[in-house]
Amino acid sequence: MQITEIFSSQLPVGETLSIKRNRYEPTQKQENLKRISIVSGTHGDELEGQYVIYLLSSWLNKNQSHINGIIDLYPAVNALGIDSITRGFPLYEVDLNRAFPGGKEEYLPGQIVYALAQDVKGSDIAIDIHSSNIFLREIPQIRINKEFSAFTLPHAKELNCDFIWIHDAVTVLEATFSHTLNEMGTKTLVVEMGVGMRLTKEYGVQLLNGILNLMKKEGIIVTDEEFEAREPFLSEVGEVFYLNAPTSGLFVPELSHCAIISKDEKIGTIVNPLDGAILETIYAPSGGILFTLREYPIVYEGSLLVRIFGNNDEKN
Amino acid sequence: MKKIEILRINSLNRAPLIVEGYLFEGSNPDAPTVAVVGAMEGKTILPLYTASKLVDFLKNSMSDSQNILGNILVIPSINHYALNINERFWPLDKTNLNTMFPGYAEGETTQRIAKRLFDAISGYTHGIILENREDLSTCFPYVRLFQSGYEDIENSKKFGYKIVHHKELRPTDTVSLQYNWQLWGTKAYSIMCPNETQIDMNGSHEVLEGIISFLSKNKIIKYKVLNGYESTVITKEDIEIVKTPKSGIFIPTKQIGSHVIKDETIGKIIHAIEGEVIHKIVAPSNGVIACHYKNGLIFENAVSFRIIKSG
Repeated sequence: MQITEIFSSQLPVGETLSIKRNRYEPTQKQENLKRISIVSGTHGDELEGQYVIYLLSSWLNKNQSHINGIIDLYPAVNALGIDSITRGFPLYEVDLNRAFPGGKEEYLPGQIVYALAQDVKGSDIAIDIHSSNIFLREIPQIRINKEFSAFTLPHAKELNCDFIWIHDAVTVLEATFSHTLNEMGTKTLVVEMGVGMRLTKEYGVQLLNGILNLMKKEGIIVTDEEFEAREPFLSEVGEVFYLNAPTSGLFVPELSHCAIISKDEKIGTIVNPLDGAILETIYAPSGGILFTLREYPIVYEGSLLVRIFGNNDEKN
Repeated sequence: MKKIEILRINSLNRAPLIVEGYLFEGSNPDAPTVAVVGAMEGKTILPLYTASKLVDFLKNSMSDSQNILGNILVIPSINHYALNINERFWPLDKTNLNTMFPGYAEGETTQRIAKRLFDAISGYTHGIILENREDLSTCFPYVRLFQSGYEDIENSKKFGYKIVHHKELRPTDTVSLQYNWQLWGTKAYSIMCPNETQIDMNGSHEVLEGIISFLSKNKIIKYKVLNGYESTVITKEDIEIVKTPKSGIFIPTKQIGSHVIKDETIGKIIHAIEGEVIHKIVAPSNGVIACHYKNGLIFENAVSFRIIKSG
C-alpha cells in the first residue's frame, strides 16, 4: 500500500487541496504487471464508490500475498465537493465529468481532471464508479459507449452487475473520464448504482465481488477464492422506456425499485399536498424491470420518474 | 409591440415559471430579423439588465415604429427561478440550460424549456445571446463565436466591441444555444458581458449600444448610431494567460481595458492570514487586459488575467 498525492493545490486560506491515490502491488518487484484503476467521487454527491473502494482496500489489506498486478484506488476525485455535498466542483460549479481531458494551463477543475487522466493513463482497465445522483436510484449497471463496446463489453460482463447499457456515441460525452481514457487506450467502464448522498451496502458488496472477479480473470489477483459474476441483461436485447413527469408535484411511488412490472401497472401518483388532489396517476408504458426509480419526490414537468427495461415489442 | 408567452412550467410550491418575449413587428417584410436571448442563468445581472433596457429602448425611444424594419424578438429572462434566489443553474437539479440545446420535448425539465425556447426563436436571420463567462472572471464586452463552420465573423464586427473571440469548439459547446442556432440557419452571436453583481453603467451601456449598432448596421432598425470600435478578431494564440503561482487575497491593480507593458505590475496576492504581499503579478507581454479574476480569494495556479497581446 502506497498513498500518493496525484494533485495538490494550496487554497487561499490555510488549507491544501489534495487528491490521493492508493497503490497496491506485489511485494516482490515484477515486470509487465497488469494495472487496474478504480475511480470514484468525481461528483461530490455520489458516495457509493467510496464504500466499494473501502471494501476493496480492506480486502487487499488482508490478501496482500494474492496481489499480482498494480491496483490504483482514487476514492475522492472531487474532494472539496464530497465534503460540502456539492455535485460539481465548488465555487466554479463545474461538472468534473464534463471537463476532461483538462490541462495544466486550465482553471483548477481542468487541472484536477488533467492530473487524474495523466495518472490513470497507461492502466489496462479503469472503472469509474458513479451513484446516479440524489434524484434517482439505479440498479448496479455498466454504461458503455457503443464506439468502444467491442473491447469493453467482455470486461463489463465480469463485474457482477445486473444490467449493461450500451449507448450511442454523443459528442458532449467526449468530455468525460471514460471517453478520454478509452481514447488513450485504457479499457474504461462506467458503473452507475444506488443513489446520491447514501450508501447501498448490498450493492457495494455486489460490485466488490465483480471487481475481484474481473481482477482474478485478468491475473491481477491470484486466489482460489471464487467470486460471483451474475449474468447481466444487455440493453441490446430489449428496450429502455423512459417515463418523465407529465406535471409538477410530489411523486409518491407505489412500487419498489427493481420490481418486475406489467404493462399498465400503476407506478405511482403525482399529488398536491396543499389540497389533497391527485394530479396524475402514472402507469407503466411497458412490462419489464423497473431499473431506475425516482428517489427525490419533488418533480417538475419533465423530471425523470422511472426507467423500465422491457421487450421491444411492448414499446408504445 | 406584442408580449407573447414563450413557455410555461408549473411548480408545486412556486408560482408558475412564465417566460415572455417582446415582439416588435417590423414595417418591412423583406428586412432581416433578430431574436435576443437574455438571462439563461441566474447570477447574470447584466444580460438581464441589457435585454430589459433593449425592450425599453425599442418601446420608448424609437420615435417612429416604422423605423423598426425587421421583426425583433427580445426575451429578457428565461430562468426567473434561478435569478430570484441567486442560483446559477436550474434550481432543482442544477442543470445548465445552455447545455440543453436544441432541447427535447419529451425529455427532462430543462430539455423541455430549451426545446420550447428554441422553437420560439428559430427562423430568425440573426440571434444574439447575452452571456457571462463561465469561469470566475469578468471582462470587457466582446463577441464570442465558435469555430463551427457556420459563424459569420464579418457581421459580428458590427457590434463595434473591441474584440471578436473566434474560439475553438469543445465537445460541450455542441449543446449550447449558439452552436445549435447556427446549425439551424440563424447567424448567432454570444455577447460576453462583464460579470458583475451590481450594474456597472459603463459596461451595460457599451453592451446595449453595441446591440443597437448591430441592429442599425444590419438594417433591422433605422436609427443613427455612433461607430464603435473596429473589432479585432482574436484566437487562442493572441491571448496571454497570466496565472498566479500563489493562492491568497487577489488585488488587481490594473483595470480591465488598460494597456499594459511587459513586466509592469498588474496585481498582487496578499497572504490571507498574515497580510504581506506574497506575489506580484506582472504583465508577461505588452497588451490590453481583457479579463481578470473577479473574486477576492484566488486559488493557486488560477488564471488571474487574460491579456490580448499587442505590439
